[in-house]
Amino acid sequence: MKGIAKGLGVTMKHMFAPKVTSAYPDVPIDMPDRFRGVQYFEPDLCIVCNQCVRICPTDCITLTGKPNPDPLKKNKVIDTFNVNFEICILCDLCTEVCPTEAIVMTNNFELAAYSRDELYKDKEWLYANNTHIRSENSTNLSPAAKGGKDNGSER
Amino acid sequence: MSMFVSAMTTAAVMMGITLGFVTYAIYAERKVLGWMQLRIGPNRVGPWGLLQTVADVLKLLLKEDIVPHKADRTMFLLAPIVAFVPSFTVIAALPFSEHLLLADITIGLLYVLAVSSISTLGIVLGGWASNNKYALLGGMRAAAQMISYEVPLLLSVVPVVMLAGSLRLGDIVQEQAGGFWHWYIVPQFFAFGVFLIASVAELNRTPFDLPEAESELVAGYHVEYSGFRFAFFMLAEYMYVFAMAAMTTVLFLGGWHAPHPALDVVPGVVWFVLKFVGVVFFLFWIRATLPRLRVDQLMGFAWTVLLPIALLDIVVTAIVQSIIR
Amino acid sequence: MAIRTEQLLLNVGPQHPSTHGVFRIVVTIDGETIVNATPVMGYLHRGTEKLAEQLTYTQIIPYTDRMDYVSAMTNNYVLCHTVEKLMQLEVPERAEFLRLIVMELQRIASHLVWWGTYLLDIGAMSPFLYAFRDRERIIHLFNELCGARLTYFYMRIGGVKWDAPEGWLDRVRAFVPTMRAQMAQYDALVSGNEIFLARMKGIGTYDAQTAIAYGLSGANLRCTGVPYDVRTHHPYSLYDRFSFRVPIAHSGDCYARYCVRIAEIHESLNILEQALDVVPDGPIMGKVPRVVRPPEGEVTASIESPRGEIGCTIVSKGKDRPYRLKFRRPSFVNLQILPKLLIGESMTNLVTILGAIDIVVGEVDG
Repeated sequence: MKGIAKGLGVTMKHMFAPKVTSAYPDVPIDMPDRFRGVQYFEPDLCIVCNQCVRICPTDCITLTGKPNPDPLKKNKVIDTFNVNFEICILCDLCTEVCPTEAIVMTNNFELAAYSRDELYKDKEWLYANNTHIRSENSTNLSPAAKGGKDNGSER
Repeated sequence: MSMFVSAMTTAAVMMGITLGFVTYAIYAERKVLGWMQLRIGPNRVGPWGLLQTVADVLKLLLKEDIVPHKADRTMFLLAPIVAFVPSFTVIAALPFSEHLLLADITIGLLYVLAVSSISTLGIVLGGWASNNKYALLGGMRAAAQMISYEVPLLLSVVPVVMLAGSLRLGDIVQEQAGGFWHWYIVPQFFAFGVFLIASVAELNRTPFDLPEAESELVAGYHVEYSGFRFAFFMLAEYMYVFAMAAMTTVLFLGGWHAPHPALDVVPGVVWFVLKFVGVVFFLFWIRATLPRLRVDQLMGFAWTVLLPIALLDIVVTAIVQSIIR
Repeated sequence: MAIRTEQLLLNVGPQHPSTHGVFRIVVTIDGETIVNATPVMGYLHRGTEKLAEQLTYTQIIPYTDRMDYVSAMTNNYVLCHTVEKLMQLEVPERAEFLRLIVMELQRIASHLVWWGTYLLDIGAMSPFLYAFRDRERIIHLFNELCGARLTYFYMRIGGVKWDAPEGWLDRVRAFVPTMRAQMAQYDALVSGNEIFLARMKGIGTYDAQTAIAYGLSGANLRCTGVPYDVRTHHPYSLYDRFSFRVPIAHSGDCYARYCVRIAEIHESLNILEQALDVVPDGPIMGKVPRVVRPPEGEVTASIESPRGEIGCTIVSKGKDRPYRLKFRRPSFVNLQILPKLLIGESMTNLVTILGAIDIVVGEVDG
């Protein structure tokens, strides 16, 4: 009986303890900066190096490049860039290897959709996903990008 | 004819009251459980979630009434009614205050306990007719549990009847007038304990919720029921919470009497409701705290602990009473 | 005339509240007594080991997160540790400290999940929410550290991905006394409660010989009095630097397993306390070639996960992908004793016994 009485005491104490629930989705949840959410993609920075495609453990990224429309430049620019969020596991490897921080993580995580097709995100969608961008991303920055513009957070 | 009309009106009013109770008992249970579990409970429908149960009931009403193909159709349809009707008939005999009582039966106590045991039949029937193995196990457990706990439940009220000298619930309450030291919980504390435990078991509530043990039997006897038939089982369950809490109040907590004669100015109904709410809260509280017993432990507890205590209590009461007289 | 009785074949699972995922037990019951039990697994099989053959070593790490999803950190570690052993890589001290801290935090979090869900199986609802509240603190710490709440992917071969953010170690330090206070509450709620004790004591008992014969590890082995813990017997990481007890119990029943796990939480808190005071500064990534390409060979390493001894064997042919990779998954091994324990028990004890083994179906099915 003593143990049961003690247990009753514990639950009674918790009845008046502060509640720990959050009012999500009425109040959005603030994730810490390092949170791995849906990627943001900056087409202008992409050098079509294909590293993200190769590192992706689930092969969810597909990209194609095209010759630079500026005939004076020999490099390629990005043409299509698709991430299939049906199978993306948000593991962070693509942002880790990206030498120009063209693909970076954001803290947005709400991916629920009514149709599987909606989870197939293209370049435009990823470019529009420009809020809550993570401040630290690549560990593979090319020297040019390191000296270049600070792709800091827009929070 | 006019008598019939007035009876029907009273029944309708009572139905309204009890349905209101069930609605808000479920709401209160979820709120209390929520608070005890560091949550806030229902809060989306209506102010403070007050309409949550209403919304749930509406949902149940709109749901498809499924009868499994292999179920025994007649029995399956009958079971919720068999479980529910006695639970509502019980309400008739409960005295809420000196004047507020619907049927003043001379054997009120016997009536309440006898009628309430019919519901067991509905539960067993539902479990069996569903033709589902989990439901069958739940139904069998319900039969075993409710029948074994009926014995200590009945025996625990015998000392009360001996003290009051009447089976009429109104008389039992009258005998407890004049302050809380006259309440039967004081001389009959052990009987009160046995009654409380046995009534929790009769109600199939934690820690005795084996017939619907969700972690073992998924939902037990009502696993195949949907829509309003499921609601009937739910309704019956909470009706009995209402009835048992009222019975505890009447038998042991002095019914509508104030805890002190000086407080008699407050109407009896208020005292009744306060005590009643206290008992209901206790039921919620133990649900938030305790785990479930095992079947064999449950049966052992009824026959080896509660029954001897209840029997001993009767003997002691009889001896003490004969000495005092 | 005797009443005709029949045995009943009952499918417990794959959708059942107490199988902790998609696990199925086909039980034959006579009344409520189990006559025969056959576990059926594989509903969550994703073929991690086969998939790993197509992936580079770094790419395998996120897959290990999803194996034992309640304890992703230790899974990360066992793979990284094995590859490091194969390549004889030196891991910087700070990285190793961070790994040890997150692994011990993970052990607490994992045991909390077990504690909560086990008591939910037994029929008490509140402990589940209390345990998840405290686990949430740990998850939040992990989220700050590595940006995920469940599938951390924190460790890399040769180090860790992130250094601890500003003030993180202090927050972990503050967590330790909070958790101790919570443990006292838990004890008051559960450990002395007569109903809990009646449900757990003497249920699912086996002795040390049986446990060893079945290859059990973790709390399932230590509950029989065998003080085997990889952390002390074959120290890996930095465990040889700290003093901690290996909690054991002797009765070998569900209650013994319960006590061992509760004591392990306390020991993990002790380790954390010692480790947090001596975290050195320094790099968090060792000198690792850009493409991880271990030499030809075969290596096995094992560590103590919250569920038992998790092992990893890698056969390398000198490529950047393993030729063969094999995990010794403790949940899978520990589960093997289940049919033996179930026979003769009641339906109610089924959930008590299954819960006490502490399986994670992702790990059972691999």
